[in-house]
Amino acid sequence: MAGFDRKMLNFLLKNVHQVNTITTFDYYSAHDEETFQLILDTAENLAAKHLSPAFVNSDRNEPQLLNDEVKVHPALKPYIQSIAESGLIAATLPFEEDGQQLPKTIYAAAHYILTASHNSFVMFSDLAHGCLEMISTFGTADLKKIYLPKISTCEWLGTMCLTEPQAGSSLSDVQTMAYLQPDGTYKLLGQKVFISAGDHDLTGNIVHLVLARIEGAPAGTKGISLFVVPKYKVDYQTGDLLLENGEKVSNDVKSIAIFHKMGQKATPAMHLGFGGNNDCEGILLGQENKGLAHMFQMMNGARLGVGMTGISIASAAMQLSQQYARERVQGRLPVGSRFPVQIQEHPDVKRMLFAQKAIVNGGLSLLLQCYKYLDLLKVSETEQDIFKYDCLTELLTPVAKTFGAEMGILSTNLGLQIHGGYGYTMDFELEQLARDVRITSIYEGTTGIHSLALVGREILKSDGISLKFWQTEVENTVEEARKLEQTQKAAEQLQSALELFNFTTNKMKEMSEEGKTMEYLADANLYMELFGILNIAWQWLLIGVAATAENGDGKDKLKTLYFYYQYELGKIDYLSRQIINTEKLTLPEI
Amino acid sequence: MKILVCISSVPDTTSKISFTDSETVFNKAGLQFIIGPYDDYALARAVELKEQSGGTVTVLNVGTVETEPQIRKALAIGADDAIRVDAEPTDSYFVAEQIANIAKEGNYDLIMMGRETTDYNSGVVHGIVGEMLGIPSFSPVMELNIDGNQAKMTREIEGGKEKLEASLPLVLGCQEPIAEWKIPNMRGIMTARTKPLNVVAPSGDSLTSISAYSMPPAKGACKMIPAEDAGSLINLLRTEAKVL
Ligand SMILES: Cc1cc2nc3c(=O)[nH]c(=O)nc-3n(C[C@H](O)[C@H](O)[C@H](O)COP(=O)(O)OP(=O)(O)OC[C@H]3O[C@@H](n4cnc5c(N)ncnc54)[C@H](O)[C@@H]3O)c2cc1C
Repeated sequence: MAGFDRKMLNFLLKNVHQVNTITTFDYYSAHDEETFQLILDTAENLAAKHLSPAFVNSDRNEPQLLNDEVKVHPALKPYIQSIAESGLIAATLPFEEDGQQLPKTIYAAAHYILTASHNSFVMFSDLAHGCLEMISTFGTADLKKIYLPKISTCEWLGTMCLTEPQAGSSLSDVQTMAYLQPDGTYKLLGQKVFISAGDHDLTGNIVHLVLARIEGAPAGTKGISLFVVPKYKVDYQTGDLLLENGEKVSNDVKSIAIFHKMGQKATPAMHLGFGGNNDCEGILLGQENKGLAHMFQMMNGARLGVGMTGISIASAAMQLSQQYARERVQGRLPVGSRFPVQIQEHPDVKRMLFAQKAIVNGGLSLLLQCYKYLDLLKVSETEQDIFKYDCLTELLTPVAKTFGAEMGILSTNLGLQIHGGYGYTMDFELEQLARDVRITSIYEGTTGIHSLALVGREILKSDGISLKFWQTEVENTVEEARKLEQTQKAAEQLQSALELFNFTTNKMKEMSEEGKTMEYLADANLYMELFGILNIAWQWLLIGVAATAENGDGKDKLKTLYFYYQYELGKIDYLSRQIINTEKLTLPEI
Repeated sequence: MKILVCISSVPDTTSKISFTDSETVFNKAGLQFIIGPYDDYALARAVELKEQSGGTVTVLNVGTVETEPQIRKALAIGADDAIRVDAEPTDSYFVAEQIANIAKEGNYDLIMMGRETTDYNSGVVHGIVGEMLGIPSFSPVMELNIDGNQAKMTREIEGGKEKLEASLPLVLGCQEPIAEWKIPNMRGIMTARTKPLNVVAPSGDSLTSISAYSMPPAKGACKMIPAEDAGSLINLLRTEAKVL
């Protein structure tokens, strides 16, 4: 059974976000509704052929580190070959780099389909996509000429190497060193941990993008640079693998260990050593000491990708739960039923099914909204527009990532609950999905770190300018919704929720102005939760407005909107009270 | 070599089927349509043959404008151009007549299609087209190689397989494993936009109309028979299931 809902996806793309309007911009004008649908069909075909069938088996047969090399599941290779042939990995690149100038919104929609079918295999292709975008954005012409074609065709795959044992959340503590050589290359020395797809037997080479400090660089985040470090040495004259006596030459990147994880088992997380034999060559990517900034600029896409992973897994859990709740007969209704009923008849199960739908489709909508802002940012011409879309993506990326992760976890767990005892067994996929989804609130920045970034950066930045842009967008939706009978009440509810949010934010500002920095930051996580709920309420109102024009399914969407407003939106009162309370029990005792 | 591949546009095989207007109209609302799965095999093999030895692949569909996404997909998979006969494909004879008329004008070496569509499953169109054109037709073809003017085929027959050879031109109804379904790639999808899709008017009128549809009867309840009572089981198999 498919883990995604193509009909809902199409509705969100077409009716809610009007993604077709993007094609009126010159940059995207080679596309139309039909190409978008064909691309999504391709994703669906790839998922059906290579992903769903391998989902469970690849969980039961983890990758192995044998003789210094990792052996991955045999079904991965045909998937990688097919996705390479599909051209999807490079589809968002410009034409001159052999891409197809595909809007990121559509790439993300394809990613949803693929990830809902096998979240772990897709990490390999998505990391390659991330590497491509990094090299395309920051690489020199020479670097692009060598690496882009190889990665686009998955002849080589890629990784992101940030984390070190002492530098997880705190990347300013990165210690891997880079020593400049007379020929302009660097020698790297250090270790990285938890590197996803860090080693495997799928491709002729692996391209690691590594954060390291150039000798003599300033301490902290201002002294970190980014390097392209292949697993096997590259002949930069020919652009191919360097061969000695017909053999590939190691670039001194060693697989020290493989982590045995709770989920996403098909993707090996590696402990890698760079330069143990003083022979690890790297090429600077982008500017010296700007590595972290470069990485973060590009990481917005990766972060949204993790939010999408959370939502995709929750989507797969939702599809299975809906089917299970239809088929499982158990218990009688307290009133009026003599015979056992399908469990979907029980109000408590119905509540969980509703919550899943509200989280999955609301979260998916917010993610698509963010990708659309990224697409608009790409084609913005006036300084005003560039500033606006930049602010909106910076503001909403951590929120969409965190909501997708945290609520994806919660929603998947609701699915497990709907399955009762069977959900806890390996006979049903819920058990695996619940393990897989757990990582999403940890990697690409923990929820705690994203919440600090949201509160630390956005409330005080230029008098909260990003929040103002956001508020205008939300108010536009409220205005639309006020005009329609079915959404009028929800519009008023969202308007008052906005007022409470502004009140809370102002109180936060006061705390900061009074120098209560610890108090201000202590409950950043709750502020993130509140802002997440508001954003999903906004998205549901958008969905509600679009649904009023729809027969049949429109009713169900409106009902989910009412559910969200009744069951979730009210939580912001409690959250607001906690956030503005300055007597925080969690502060360090002086 | 010139190949004509006839594709149908059918509801996704997981669709829930319903009817409207007093059970006289098939309800398409909310359904996802796909290229007929058997036609998709035919298309895949046609594209492979073209890649191996050159030539052209033309896609033909008898259908209304709603089927164009499936035609575009066929172009994205590798067909060179397409023809749509602008008519509702009401019955096998009507569809076969349209195909035969187009085929007569095009001088094709091979006319390939699925062994049957997965909506009405009549499985007779290839036979009628062959008859109308006065050329041989074979179905279900599960293997196909072309050597000069000769087609070497394997056909599924009752209880086994049959190996055949015949001279072109031919009409073939195809099934797996003649080729693996092809997944359109980005380049194919983008070039499909610029490939020609000609819309032509149908010739002749359909001679049939639907008076009513009905769903298959709901499955009967499961009868449980005690393990020790084999006699009643045999009795039921004889009298009710009528399999003994
Ligand atoms: C399966 C898996 C795959 C991964 N893939 C990659 C990869 O491909 N590339 C890569 O570079 N990394 C990868 N990582 C690493 C991942 O990004 C880190 O684990 C993550 O950033 C957290 O770092 P840490 O594990 O050191 O936890 P810590 O930083 O030690 O955090 C522990 C806890 O303390 C909290 N905390 C820490 N600092 C603060 C603070 N200042 N304020 C408030 N709370 C704080 C955190 O929120 C967290 O709850 C992966 C990890 C896993 C488990």
